[in-house]
Amino acid sequence: MFAAALTILRKDAKLRLRDRSVWVFAFVVPLALTYVFSLVFTGQDEFRFTAGVVDLDGGPVAEGFTDGVVPALVEEGLAEVTAFGDEVAARRAIEEEEIGAAWVIPEGFSEQIDAGEGGELTVLVNPDRSLTGQVALGVADGFATRIDRAGLAVAVVIAAAGEVDGDGAGAGAGGGAGAGAGGEADADAGADADAGAGAGAGDEADADAGADADAAAGAGAGADGGEHLGDLDPAILAEVAQRAAEAGPLISVDELAAADRQLDGTTYLAAGMAVFFLFFTVTFGVTGYLEERQQGTLPRLLAAPIGISAVHLGKALGAFALGLVSMTVLAVASATVLDATWGPVGGVAVLVVAAVIAALGVMALVGSFANTAEQAGNLQSVVALVLGLAGGVFFPMGAGLLGQLALVSPHGWFLRGLGDLAGDPAWTSALPAAGALLVFGLVTAVPGLLRMQRGVR
Amino acid sequence: MDAVLQCTGLRRAFGELKAVDDVSFEVGAGETYGLLGPNGAGKTTAISMVAGLLATDGGEILVAGEVMTPRASAAKRHVGLVPQELAIYPDLTARENLDFFARLYGMDKGGRANRIDRVLEVIGLADRAGDRAGEYSGGMKRRLNIGIGLLHEPRLLILDEPTVGVDPQSRNSILASVEDLATDGISVLYTTHYMEEAERLCDRIGVIDRGRLVAEGTRRELVSRIGEQDVVRMKVVGDASAAAAACESVEGVGSSDAEGDEVVCLMDAAAGRLPALLAAVGTSGASVAGVQVREPDLEDVFLHLTGNALRD
Repeated sequence: MFAAALTILRKDAKLRLRDRSVWVFAFVVPLALTYVFSLVFTGQDEFRFTAGVVDLDGGPVAEGFTDGVVPALVEEGLAEVTAFGDEVAARRAIEEEEIGAAWVIPEGFSEQIDAGEGGELTVLVNPDRSLTGQVALGVADGFATRIDRAGLAVAVVIAAAGEVDGDGAGAGAGGGAGAGAGGEADADAGADADAGAGAGAGDEADADAGADADAAAGAGAGADGGEHLGDLDPAILAEVAQRAAEAGPLISVDELAAADRQLDGTTYLAAGMAVFFLFFTVTFGVTGYLEERQQGTLPRLLAAPIGISAVHLGKALGAFALGLVSMTVLAVASATVLDATWGPVGGVAVLVVAAVIAALGVMALVGSFANTAEQAGNLQSVVALVLGLAGGVFFPMGAGLLGQLALVSPHGWFLRGLGDLAGDPAWTSALPAAGALLVFGLVTAVPGLLRMQRGVR
Repeated sequence: MDAVLQCTGLRRAFGELKAVDDVSFEVGAGETYGLLGPNGAGKTTAISMVAGLLATDGGEILVAGEVMTPRASAAKRHVGLVPQELAIYPDLTARENLDFFARLYGMDKGGRANRIDRVLEVIGLADRAGDRAGEYSGGMKRRLNIGIGLLHEPRLLILDEPTVGVDPQSRNSILASVEDLATDGISVLYTTHYMEEAERLCDRIGVIDRGRLVAEGTRRELVSRIGEQDVVRMKVVGDASAAAAACESVEGVGSSDAEGDEVVCLMDAAAGRLPALLAAVGTSGASVAGVQVREPDLEDVFLHLTGNALRD
């Protein structure tokens, strides 16, 4: 039976090689779409912001910020920071959208902290660039919190560029700011900057600015009526500021929870397109079977001493091989040409094999409801499109209800599997998704094959 | 007779429709056996069971002594099938088509190449063997279709209406090929609704109608069922059915049937009774526009046996 199945596979392969449509569906279109989409979305999955800093103080605490925190942000590639001589210049730069936010360290900032009066670090934001504002506020909050842990107090004030300083409430950066000098800082303003809003490929990055609500509130309390710290040695003050700056990254992209592990935009698109078109590619196996019936060759195959099972096996092997080759070529090509990073080979291979099996099963079941290749093609196209959309091949479904919806689709499981591999490169991390794909394949293939065999009789 | 094919009590129904009902016949070694009947008579269902494409509801099929079922590989090796529809891959060349089916029949590499060359010569496609079948004329495709059936040197070749939709020249070529098969000693089961083909090719003929084998024998045996009667075919102007009914009252008329605008009568000594026949048509209100008198053929046999024309 296996020899006959291989003979049928070879024949089908020869026919497919001469049939240009399969090339288009299996290779050209998915790669082209991935390329086009990647051009459109390039860089949108990486968050960078522009900011300014105005140091009117020049004291040791201010230097802790300007010489410690800011260079760290720049070195991390997170921000491009410009120094301004005064607040007016910074506001103008924001209004002209040269920068998205600015930190203003007022004159006497270090002295006020030294005196235990509590300092005020103002964050100017562009209301139209809320994400940048959130992050800038978070950076300031994080710095303030660390100063506070040293027994000092800093309040962070947010203000929209163009508004009167200190009247920063509702500045559009996601939270009302503390009002006035020495007042309480908005504790939450920078605590949960949701980077997902700007991530073109849908990365829901949680920009953790390190802000601590209680600590920030404590900073305000300390500034208002907390214990007087007395004069500090400027050297100690400088050391405190330095430690605050060096305590660790003030902004980082969290290690995401497993459900939210995400691929970079190009990889997501490449994998999405590949698995989407995989469901069209394998239909050639099923429609090929119907084509045999339609063009009259099926009776001749069934009259040969090979058995119906050999015909089914040959068709399935052909579709499987084509799907596998298509996925492999697309993975390699997108990695080579578009810098997509699918993940470790072992895990990706497991997922690809499972996805091809799932596609075969689903399309076999759908095809079994058709009497002609044309009918099958139409039905399969509809199902492939619906499953693809549900699975989020064109845009990520996130972690909410849509995210759950994606799991009713093999496409969703495939992308989730790749996401899991991105979070944990061990090939075993792909097993849950691969298992789900295999279940899809088996649950649909068995009734599909039974229906087909009944149709032959 | 050393039977290559023995069918006994074949039955197959599709729902309420009895497509084949208790059909029995044999095909001897080197014999060409024709299944003659109109479209829908059950010919294709019968040969589908013989070829192992379709399971029977009852009865038995033996091919070269092997029981034929859809899973009977041994029996299938003895059968070559030429389906009514072209069963070739248009995107493969003639040689690739033949090679594919040769592999399915398990032919070894050396024997395969020689046999393919031989078949290409037999079907007259040796010089076009490297061209894709889709580029062939209708006749060439038909010849390739037959060649694939012959490829593995079957004991029994089944040809299911191989000349349907074929131009006259190709048809003659196909009929000549089938005649050659007989001389090569291959048994042929040939289905057709063309009386002339059955008369030309078949050693024996089974007349099938509504799933039942209503008569079987050589052409001479079948025609003799009508007796020594002549066939009188009259083209009438008016109600042919009424004219046919009127003719039944004429002495010597065995049967009288309307076929379109014609009345066909089987009768003894037609020459002396023509005036009475014409008068009978006149009494029905119709008039006769033309008359033909001849000896009966298989068409008349079928009409006599079933009351229907072969091409109904």
